[in-house]
Amino acid sequence: MIRYWLEKTWVQNAVLISLATFAIYYCGWVFDFGYEFKWSMLFTRNETYGVVMGAEILKGLANTVRISLISSALALLLGTMLGLARLSLFRPLRATATCVIEFFRNTPLLIQLFFWYFAFPAILPDNAREALFSIQFEFWCATIGLSIYTASFMAEVIRAGLQSIPKGLLEAAYSSGLSYFQVLRTIILPLAFRAIIPPLGSEFLNNMKNSSLAMVVGVAELTWHAQQVESLTFKGFEATSAATVLYLSLSLIISFILNGVNGRMRLDTAPGRSIPVLVVGALLTPLGLIRRMFIRPVTRALRARRRAAAETTYTPLAAMLHQLGGHAARAAALTGKGLFVAMLAGLLYSVGKGLLGFQWHVVFENLRSLLIWHFPTGRPDEMFLGLGGLAYSLLMAVIAISVSFFIGLAVGVGRSSSNRVFRIPCLLYIELIRGNPLIIVIFWVYFFIPVMFGTTLNVFWSATWALTAFTGAYLAEIVRTGIQNIPAGQVEAAYSTGLTYLQAMRKIVLPQALKQMIPAIVGQFIAIFKDTSLAFVLGVLELTFVAQGINNRLMIHPMEIYGTVAFLYFICCYSMSVFAARLERRLSPEKVSLRM
Amino acid sequence: MRLVKLLAMASALTVLMASVAMAGPVFDRIQKEKKIRIGIMTDSIPGAFYNEKGEWGGFDYDMATEVAKRMGVEIERVQVNNKTRIALVQSGQIDLSVSNMTHTRERDKSVDFSLTYFFDGQKILAKKGQFKSVKDMVGKKIATMQGTTSEVNVRRALKEAGDPNAETNVISFQKESECFQALQNGRVAGWSTDASILVGYAAKTPGQFELVGDFLSDEPYGMAMPQDDSALRDAVNAAIQDMWKDGTYKTIYNKWYGPGTPFEMPLAGQIEMWP
Repeated sequence: MIRYWLEKTWVQNAVLISLATFAIYYCGWVFDFGYEFKWSMLFTRNETYGVVMGAEILKGLANTVRISLISSALALLLGTMLGLARLSLFRPLRATATCVIEFFRNTPLLIQLFFWYFAFPAILPDNAREALFSIQFEFWCATIGLSIYTASFMAEVIRAGLQSIPKGLLEAAYSSGLSYFQVLRTIILPLAFRAIIPPLGSEFLNNMKNSSLAMVVGVAELTWHAQQVESLTFKGFEATSAATVLYLSLSLIISFILNGVNGRMRLDTAPGRSIPVLVVGALLTPLGLIRRMFIRPVTRALRARRRAAAETTYTPLAAMLHQLGGHAARAAALTGKGLFVAMLAGLLYSVGKGLLGFQWHVVFENLRSLLIWHFPTGRPDEMFLGLGGLAYSLLMAVIAISVSFFIGLAVGVGRSSSNRVFRIPCLLYIELIRGNPLIIVIFWVYFFIPVMFGTTLNVFWSATWALTAFTGAYLAEIVRTGIQNIPAGQVEAAYSTGLTYLQAMRKIVLPQALKQMIPAIVGQFIAIFKDTSLAFVLGVLELTFVAQGINNRLMIHPMEIYGTVAFLYFICCYSMSVFAARLERRLSPEKVSLRM
Repeated sequence: MRLVKLLAMASALTVLMASVAMAGPVFDRIQKEKKIRIGIMTDSIPGAFYNEKGEWGGFDYDMATEVAKRMGVEIERVQVNNKTRIALVQSGQIDLSVSNMTHTRERDKSVDFSLTYFFDGQKILAKKGQFKSVKDMVGKKIATMQGTTSEVNVRRALKEAGDPNAETNVISFQKESECFQALQNGRVAGWSTDASILVGYAAKTPGQFELVGDFLSDEPYGMAMPQDDSALRDAVNAAIQDMWKDGTYKTIYNKWYGPGTPFEMPLAGQIEMWP
């Protein structure tokens, strides 16, 4: 009976609307938050400080947009270069690209930003450092640090895209006489980018959200300004809500544009059908006009000249010049390679010298604290017998991933349900969480969950629950793609044998989907382990916080401490990603590796 | 069936949340549970910090412990930082915040403060022999910690000294150690916060850094607690006054700031006493 009614769209809508009305009524009029809301503080002038707080937050938004735009452009460029280098036949280049990608993917962005800001200038010569400090160092440090981090993720996506190009197509292109760069420009890159727009798009989104970390090096972006307003007025709820709304809108705009780009570039959909496609088309029209008016005539003229030149007879002089040109190109490539190797050797030498100059006793004296804090001799008011450091980070990640797995499963199934009553709340949860930076989610859980439920929440647990809610949303999307990859015929067959929805899910769909999802889930585990470093904002005794504390006390050995921390994070993450890669290979044996 | 279940669950949740929301005044709860939750910093030397063995200590730490002892209740220490201390008091997760916090009128609108229990003032730390006063630092970058009164004060001081770019010349970091590192590697010319903190850091690398000019502001530290609970405020104030009267305050003060300690600083004021 109920199922019959629930299949009707208007019943589903009615249920959703009444639930929403109830929630709004309850939070607005019945529930006592124990907190005085003052939304007017966002748009009225504060007497004490003489500023409008909302305007301050908008200043932060402008900075976030600036950082995101510049860093995503740089990341795309760098990511493409790294992705191509990863497939290069020149072994030193390939090895360097692999090392760079693996290193930057497997250490937390937070630690990288600390390195670029505090440690990197220290190893430069004095005049270079002064030149660096004379520009907006905070801004560029955060932007470039962020773009290198994002580039290392994009490089892997791009590499996958490049490898997905059929080998025959490349062979055909080379055999038709095109040069490597021509093939790259006209065949490889267009095809590869068309295939990878969705995963690349999520990297753009992540990049925007990760820009919230720029605040640790003193850049006044959106999160920084929200916190600033909070500390000036103590109206944290209002400030954080404003930041959340702005982040969500930014995320929505980015997804909208990416959908448009995807729709425009895909070959199987007719262009100009959906709204995003139309909007992106409209945005691109001026560019197209410029191209048609200025660039196309030039290329046409050049082509005509080339053709005319080709029609003249091939003289011995031209042949000699051509041959010389070929020699020169080869010589240039060889010197390039030589220079690259020399540069690499120089870099390795200076890194080695730096490592030898380390005060190793500082590392060893503090290693125990970094690994386990003072477990098991903790004080009675400490959690888990005084556990902390790396072990704490791992513990947080393990709890978050194991609990969020079930959240992800439930929400992912609900998200792919055809019933609106389940689909829309799940969609809201996923988009709300995924549209915000983790640091904002952490603040919400820490400050507002206790107010909502009237309990106290220890920093460890609130950070862990925030990580769990955050991971849950990402896992839900992984689960949804897994489910969607199952052929519809399987589900139909299951229903026709008389299985119910739940039985079909449990026995047919989920087991197959989960097998496909395993590599992605391991990837998520790595991400969440790195993200535990953000719990430092609450003062959770995880690895980054312990490192900061030690650094705070010693003060004069930041390189040693942060070097060790980066190494510890790297070891953990890298071993997990090796495991993930092995799993992926085992689960999809038909992949052939392709070189260019 | 599913809908009925959903509705039943929703209504059960409603009842649960409504019953939890009703909580009595904080002081009564402390007396009933015989336990007070006090927020203490973990990375402010010598206010409250972890030492080389990972043990928690410091001036604020000792003060908090003593206040709880005098109130006759057990102490539960909660780690806080300059980001979390006020929000935790506001949301009722801690009953008292002893975390080198300046008592200001703006802050007094959201939380209550005890008597001033520590007298500090804000100064600027810079490389030795480079600057004489704030006037010399116009156009130079100065580091502060985000979310502190020092940040607001140093901006104002720079503006008063005639710096047109006071807004961008103040760079805010999340931690004291980060400010100090920025000063060490030359990114900023000065670091401004409460003198007691600066003295501690300058003592780590003797002869390299010095305090510049006069105090930018007075920083009277108060213990923060939830708004409108006068029984709690009275109990805390009485504890602080009793500590001053019987000399415990001086003992704690001398342990951290007295002669011979790395953070040596003469006691600048006197705790307000009520007869």
